[in-house]
Amino acid sequence: MRSTMSRRGFLAAGSGLAAATALPALPALAGCSTLASADSDPDTLVVHSQLGTTAPGSPTYLSALNTFRDENPGLKVKNLVNGDDLAQVYETSRLARKEPDVVMVNLYDKTLAWTDVGATVDVKGYMDDWGLRKRVLPVALDAWTDGKGRLRAFPYFATNWPVAYNTALLESAGVDAIPTTGDQLISAARKLRAKGIAPVTVGGNDWTGQKLLAQIIQTFLTPDEARKVFTSGDFSGSRGAREGIEYFTALRDAGVFADKAQGLTSDTMTTQFNTGAAAIQSAMSSALAKVPDKIARHTDVGGWPLAPGAAHAKPTILRTYTLIGFWISPNGTKKLDSVEKFLRFMYRPDTVTRFVKESGRDMALRSDTLSTDFPLVAEAQKLGDDVSEALLPDVYVPPAATQPLITATSTAFTRGTSPARVRSVLEAAYRTA
Amino acid sequence: MKHGKSWLPAHILAWAYAALLLVPLYYLLASAFKTNEEIFASPFSLPTSLSFGNFGTAFESADLGLAVVNSALVTAFSLALTLALAIPAAFAVARSTGRLGAFVEKVFSLGFLIPTFAALFPTFLLAAATGLFHTRMFMVLFLPATAMPLSVVILVQFMRTIPKEMEEAARIDGASTFGVLRHVYTPMCMPGIATVLLLNFLTFWNEYLYSLVIIGPDPSQRTVQVALPTLKSLTGTDYGVLTAGTVLTLVPVWAVYTVLQKRMQQALVSGAVKM
Repeated sequence: MRSTMSRRGFLAAGSGLAAATALPALPALAGCSTLASADSDPDTLVVHSQLGTTAPGSPTYLSALNTFRDENPGLKVKNLVNGDDLAQVYETSRLARKEPDVVMVNLYDKTLAWTDVGATVDVKGYMDDWGLRKRVLPVALDAWTDGKGRLRAFPYFATNWPVAYNTALLESAGVDAIPTTGDQLISAARKLRAKGIAPVTVGGNDWTGQKLLAQIIQTFLTPDEARKVFTSGDFSGSRGAREGIEYFTALRDAGVFADKAQGLTSDTMTTQFNTGAAAIQSAMSSALAKVPDKIARHTDVGGWPLAPGAAHAKPTILRTYTLIGFWISPNGTKKLDSVEKFLRFMYRPDTVTRFVKESGRDMALRSDTLSTDFPLVAEAQKLGDDVSEALLPDVYVPPAATQPLITATSTAFTRGTSPARVRSVLEAAYRTA
Repeated sequence: MKHGKSWLPAHILAWAYAALLLVPLYYLLASAFKTNEEIFASPFSLPTSLSFGNFGTAFESADLGLAVVNSALVTAFSLALTLALAIPAAFAVARSTGRLGAFVEKVFSLGFLIPTFAALFPTFLLAAATGLFHTRMFMVLFLPATAMPLSVVILVQFMRTIPKEMEEAARIDGASTFGVLRHVYTPMCMPGIATVLLLNFLTFWNEYLYSLVIIGPDPSQRTVQVALPTLKSLTGTDYGVLTAGTVLTLVPVWAVYTVLQKRMQQALVSGAVKM
């Protein structure tokens, strides 16, 4: 104990110690201090995406990015990856004016408000200036255009959302044909249950259940009526919506859905179908691409069975062209040359073909390529007019009602819940918005 | 040493509790070697293969190696700064006998009342205003601030147990205030310092929300807690890969916990003898 430091020296030493711990860290911790966006490196294009790890299409996307880098040696591309929290991360980045240049995300929930609040820009002019409009399916352009005529993003991924039927399980239960009416579906469900097989598996506790519920509600609704109902949330005021909800509860209480469907999620749904524990699922292309060969060999895709007096002529499926689009941020408008190069590359037929062939993705762009390595995806692509199309409600549901609707969906899938109660919880979800 | 039958219920309860703790750990480890189908079809069965494929996929696709380095950097510097600030602060508060000292101690205690979410937006604004948004540096400065209340309160309690005679003896030997802190209080507070280190390590390493918002998704900067959820996908998660990634991120926690726990116990014992 030879230290003879005074009080003043002690304070100085304390300050020095604190500084000593922090200073060496400065270069390491602040060296790559920003996202290298517009305010940093003008030669770096920053893309924020949900692709890049294990999401369907990620390997193809990463490989395409490498090709793009090879073709544009002077241009660096930084790929930022987030999962479900991408929208939140982008919004905070935008608030700090350090957002990435291009965002790849779907049109759903929070992103519905982005163009309106200036978080991203209207890309209609760029689409025309860069001559890319002819590459996009007109229906996709409509889907990405908001009520004020603004094009929210460059459309890219679409998806078919048919109903997958395991014909081997159906036959083993004595069901010879895919059900096309509600009565046939109830009869098939009884036979499947007698064999210990779950009939229709669905994530009643998440977005998959919400979509299927919306699809069944539309049984008695024309597209215009459906648009009105999902925009307003007035399920009681529409006769077609009331009848659709009654149809749903009748199917549910007849045992059409897997046990405890109100607690299942999309993961349990796909696993039940992929392991042969359930015979039927409503599945988008990315889920169809993951059906194992031994199940896919005995699987047919079709539509959801109709009730007598339905507004649709054929069983229904969902289709959406808003799965992933390229949104341009205000920072991105400062690097338009780089953004244009990137968009032109991603829209090129050979790049689009890779996504279809290698990853089994449906595209919102014109392409004759079929997903030959993903037979169920290809079958769904070929359904065409064999099915009727129900409206995907995502674009019409107010953003703030999206999550409450999923909670309401779980109640709707609970056996014994009356049609009036289902209408009530759905309307309550809108009221909280 | 023989125990009577009265020990039996205690043994049963202790083993049952231990088994209860092991169940989720087993589930996590077993799932890391399985496919989605196996996880959902038979969640508690042993894996049919011990392939490390899921670990490799998780490590590569989420770039977990770099993320672990980033987490280690942020955690290590934050811990150093926390100790550098908390030890002198606790020393001053513990030795203070006046009203000001008591007031300062209460101010530190008030820090417990601030909910994490409530501070998120002001913290974001601060990061943006200081130009440290999307940097690890901000987290290194911010995390110690969140840890100060607990750290100071713990260390103050430890320092108050040190007899004043120890300081007086050091003073007679010519020690300055810093000397007293360095040669008397700090060595004798090692149990408290180890406790503070351990608790803060776990908090800093596992911090998610602020790291997500402040540091962001840049792979060159993001921490492991931000990198890990990128393995989850709305349109189909590979839970085998996700659990394998989780196991990988738990290894450093387990290693540090093991080392510090031993140190803490040693320090407790040696401290007791010295005192």
